[in-house]
Amino acid sequence: MSNCGNCERTGTCVSVHGSINEMQDRASAMGVDTVFDRYQLQQPQCGFGMQGICCQLCSHGPCRITPKAQYGICGAGADTIVARNLLRLAVHGAAAYSHHLEELARTIKATAAGKTPFSIGDEEKLRQIAGIIGLDAARPAAELADQLADVLLSELRKGSDEPLALVKLFAPKTRLEAWEKLNVIPGGVLSEIRDALTKTMSNIDTDPVDLLLTTIRLSIATGYMGLVGTVTAQDILLGTPALTRSEADLGVIDPACVNIVAHGHVPLMATAVIQAAKTPELVKLAREAGAAGIKVYGSMCTGQELMQRSAGSAAGFAGQLGNWIVQELYVATGAVDLVMLDMNCSIPGLKAAADRFHTRLVSVDRIVRMAGVEDHVDYEPEKAARQAEELVKMAVETYKKRGKDIHVPQAKSAAVAGFSVESILGALGGSLDPLLDAVKNGSIKGIAAVVGCTNNRNGHDVKSVTITRELIKRDVLVINAGCCSSATQAEGLMTPEAANDAGPGLKAVCQALGIPPALNFGSCVDIGRIGVAVTAIANALGVDPSALPVAASAPEYLEQKAVADGVFAVAFGLLTHLGPVPPVTGSPLVTSILTKDVEGLTGGRVMVEEDPVKAAEAIYAHIMEKRRGLGI
Amino acid sequence: MVRHLIIGNSAAGITAAEILRRLDGRAGITVVSDEAEPAYSRCLLPDFLAGRKTGADLRIRPADFYAGNRIDRVSGRVLRVDPRSRQVLLENGGCLDYDRLLIATGARSAFPPVPGLSGPNVTGLRTLADARKIVQLAGNVRRVLVVGAGFVGLETAYALYNRGLEVTVVEKMPQILPGQFDATAAGILQRDMHAEGMRIILGAGIKEVLTPSGFLNFFNKSAQGVLLDNGDRLKADLIVVAAGIRPNVELVQDTGISTGRGITVDQFMRTSVPGVYAAGDVAETEDVVTGRVGLTPIWPNAVSQGKTAAWNMAGQPRPCSGSLGMQNAVEFREIPSIAMGITQGGDPGLEVVTAGQPGQNVYRKLVLRDNVIVGMILVGDISGAGVIGALIRKHADVRKFKDDILRGRFNYGYMLAEMRNAG
Amino acid sequence: MKSIMIDLDACNGCLTCTLACAAAHSRSGSIVGAMQEKTPARIFIEAVNGRAVPVTCRHCEEPACAEACMTGAMRKDSLTGLVSNEGHEQKCVGCWMCIMACPYGAVTAHPRERVALKCDGCPGLPQPACVAACPNRALRYEEPAFFAAGRSRDAACSAAQAS
Repeated sequence: MSNCGNCERTGTCVSVHGSINEMQDRASAMGVDTVFDRYQLQQPQCGFGMQGICCQLCSHGPCRITPKAQYGICGAGADTIVARNLLRLAVHGAAAYSHHLEELARTIKATAAGKTPFSIGDEEKLRQIAGIIGLDAARPAAELADQLADVLLSELRKGSDEPLALVKLFAPKTRLEAWEKLNVIPGGVLSEIRDALTKTMSNIDTDPVDLLLTTIRLSIATGYMGLVGTVTAQDILLGTPALTRSEADLGVIDPACVNIVAHGHVPLMATAVIQAAKTPELVKLAREAGAAGIKVYGSMCTGQELMQRSAGSAAGFAGQLGNWIVQELYVATGAVDLVMLDMNCSIPGLKAAADRFHTRLVSVDRIVRMAGVEDHVDYEPEKAARQAEELVKMAVETYKKRGKDIHVPQAKSAAVAGFSVESILGALGGSLDPLLDAVKNGSIKGIAAVVGCTNNRNGHDVKSVTITRELIKRDVLVINAGCCSSATQAEGLMTPEAANDAGPGLKAVCQALGIPPALNFGSCVDIGRIGVAVTAIANALGVDPSALPVAASAPEYLEQKAVADGVFAVAFGLLTHLGPVPPVTGSPLVTSILTKDVEGLTGGRVMVEEDPVKAAEAIYAHIMEKRRGLGI
Repeated sequence: MVRHLIIGNSAAGITAAEILRRLDGRAGITVVSDEAEPAYSRCLLPDFLAGRKTGADLRIRPADFYAGNRIDRVSGRVLRVDPRSRQVLLENGGCLDYDRLLIATGARSAFPPVPGLSGPNVTGLRTLADARKIVQLAGNVRRVLVVGAGFVGLETAYALYNRGLEVTVVEKMPQILPGQFDATAAGILQRDMHAEGMRIILGAGIKEVLTPSGFLNFFNKSAQGVLLDNGDRLKADLIVVAAGIRPNVELVQDTGISTGRGITVDQFMRTSVPGVYAAGDVAETEDVVTGRVGLTPIWPNAVSQGKTAAWNMAGQPRPCSGSLGMQNAVEFREIPSIAMGITQGGDPGLEVVTAGQPGQNVYRKLVLRDNVIVGMILVGDISGAGVIGALIRKHADVRKFKDDILRGRFNYGYMLAEMRNAG
Repeated sequence: MKSIMIDLDACNGCLTCTLACAAAHSRSGSIVGAMQEKTPARIFIEAVNGRAVPVTCRHCEEPACAEACMTGAMRKDSLTGLVSNEGHEQKCVGCWMCIMACPYGAVTAHPRERVALKCDGCPGLPQPACVAACPNRALRYEEPAFFAAGRSRDAACSAAQAS
């Protein structure tokens, strides 16, 4: 079954990855329903929903904007309904990122008190950030960390009338000017979420333009707290990523071992489990059960976080299985004993797949719940060490129930990981200049962040991999984060050898530095890292981010966090490509603002292009235009 | 006024009569048949056997059909057609004149040449009279042997099983439904029948029917039975033979009307003699898939041929769209299934693709030649079968949709979209 | 004779027609009631590479379903032109011959009863329920010639002619 409709091959072709097609065949033969099967059953999908012109807020609804009914019963037109729906999506994203950051701040506080299995992973960064936000950077690390966590928590919780410190401190000056003009410099994130939710109630804010500005404001709050704040705090706690090697794709699964998969976005419990899995008594337990050892694999963004830090706090990480769509299929190997579900992206379909095998699902975050999943080891920083041990023991017990029907695809690829602004600086000898020179002399035409989710709308990972390939071919350095990272990793694009697929300029730079043409920045939260990098480059060149030869692309965006990310990128001044058409096309006004008019306000805009080759061409054209603007 | 005479009062004959009336309000239309009943559905005879339907329930047209359409009915068996005098001679000595004649005499059960396969407790299932006979016998017997595991045989077996009889089906070939289904599909359906409690013996033919006295010697019991060609013996109080059919062509012998196994017709349903047409199970037509001329004795083909004959008899020439062989829909218990065209691979020019989970009673198979579907089997999910049938009839190149068809996702919308793109 | 005409460009796959169809054939007569009764719809919004394409019975001049029907239940009414297996002396037994015959896939098996299911044209209503409910005017109840004149370039009419 082919989802793209572009080729005539028979046989399963749901994904760009051979391993996934292979596993989908197995799942079909076993009668295990997957995202791919259910996607087909949902076709065709309702055009009103697709265009965002369905409103279900009040009991008069659902109302839809149709040729005969241009307004809902309350009088809301397409513009209002679309903008309001969009803002509600962004609210979800902002809330989820805030949860992540809160868990992190709590963990830092507990760690500072010596109550967790963690230690401060990057003291230098702690002192640096503490200094910037006005703390006494000379204080002992534990005390400083505790204070920093308090600052983060209070920033999250303060009123919407109190501007966020991180925005003021970290945003380029030119951005601040643009945002001040629009009155979109946000206050405390939770207050912003409250305001946005209130505005999107029936008949409170029905002005589509104000709703869009609110979306931008909320997304800036998300960008600086949920993204930049979270990344920074995570680096301080777990260590800043350093260059390392790992492996990706389903072939990394070792059927001889007790196999634990860390799935989700918040790598805290997972890091504790990796550490616990190395303790001799637990390894002994696993051997007694007949296993060769214990392995902890990554899935989705939690996996990327672990891979990024596998030279440090996550040493022993056994490799990345895949992204969002892969979850049911790695369970279908029959060789996964326990999946720990942390916040975000554990699909209900996973339970049905797990029930078909012996696989045990355990939620490890108090807000993650799934019907039928009865094991909850909800992460608590102070108990994390014991909880991790309990999880490993559960996995060993479950391993004993493993069936005989096991099939692990052969496919796997090496991957270089651990890129961050700091590790790139390290690789460049402490200065951004070599990179900037390469951009200036045209060896590298520009930088594109190909990030975000995976999506079946045009075949799993087809677009993210194609765009990445097309961009590097055009000498555009690609930065991947989120589910896109898993996509390009599995296809070998994160190996230095992939430089051979790049254009001559980029190829030479990659070969000189020994880096891949697609750099792994990590999870979707690590999109914040890209913001930091772009800010650094903009500052180095003394221009606004919108003037840089850079662009963002979310070729397979799926869920609400990505909406907040995407709007943030636009607010940040970037051309932001989206693959799937967002549910805004029912409103000419919103569509026009997002794809055209907003450029005059923030310098960024949304570009929707479903064809990945055309999208790459458009991104390249944008980059070349910006180069001309800079006179390079 | 044109006088149309139709021999036969089933699918082909009744359809022809109906359409002739629609096309020509003034023509004389006479239907002669050796069955006294109004036209009934042979396909529903198993329902009659099972007791779900009465004889009146089997009628395929409203009660006032003949009168309302001014169709004369003559009861009687036709002995011979005389094309020279444009008459048909009846067994009762009468004769009927015609201007145009349609022979739709159908077929009868073919009995294999097995010693002893006759007598009061041996019957086919072809007519309502056969069915009535079986019902009458069923009250006094316990064990039924059905010879042949084709559709009629299995339907009969189910019907009698549902009446509470012990049923054994004996089939010469190594699978049930050998004419239509492949081994995988047959296996799914057979598993279902076994679960129901029916006994099926495959790969064995009947060697001899033992008389009560002969059987007595083996078992010392007063029962009839059969000896299989594998040496096994089975008791049976009633034997229903469902081992194929033989077209009723005797009435055209020595008339100059060409015959093969059935009566040879062209695509206008004309026989080799002007003014004489044939349609239905008695006629040999060209198969749309194989191009071979032969019998395709199934209801929709009979109706389609009867319709074509009527148009041409009425002087409005129209070719028949061709017969699609071996198509059939069955539903034994809960598993619907359909087979069309060539369903076995084997030929090196044929591509065979399959999908589904036979273990869960879902199976799909396509047989293609140069990306044109020539046959298919659907078990479990039969939705849209006719759309695939249309592709077979049109010899459509399906390379773009092969996988969608195999996975059960293809639908008529694809064709609409294609037409729109082409337009 | 009026029939259901389909404007492919206008259909956005909202499925309202299927809900209205089910409602019209449900005991309750309402959409929510039909969903609770699980009344099946008789019009289908099929997916072609994600695009919505309505498929329903065309009440053919020479209906293949009626030709295949071995009970006589499926019949075209000479007055209304509607093809249906309901409301006749002969009863449908669910042999699925019509499903095998219909080149449009417009006849389906009832999900729970042993009876074939198809559009009955909503006799008694001024226009079929699906047409009345379509918010996009993708379904119209018109004379084919009128529809063709109104949208001469529309592929839907070529499809209608092809039937």
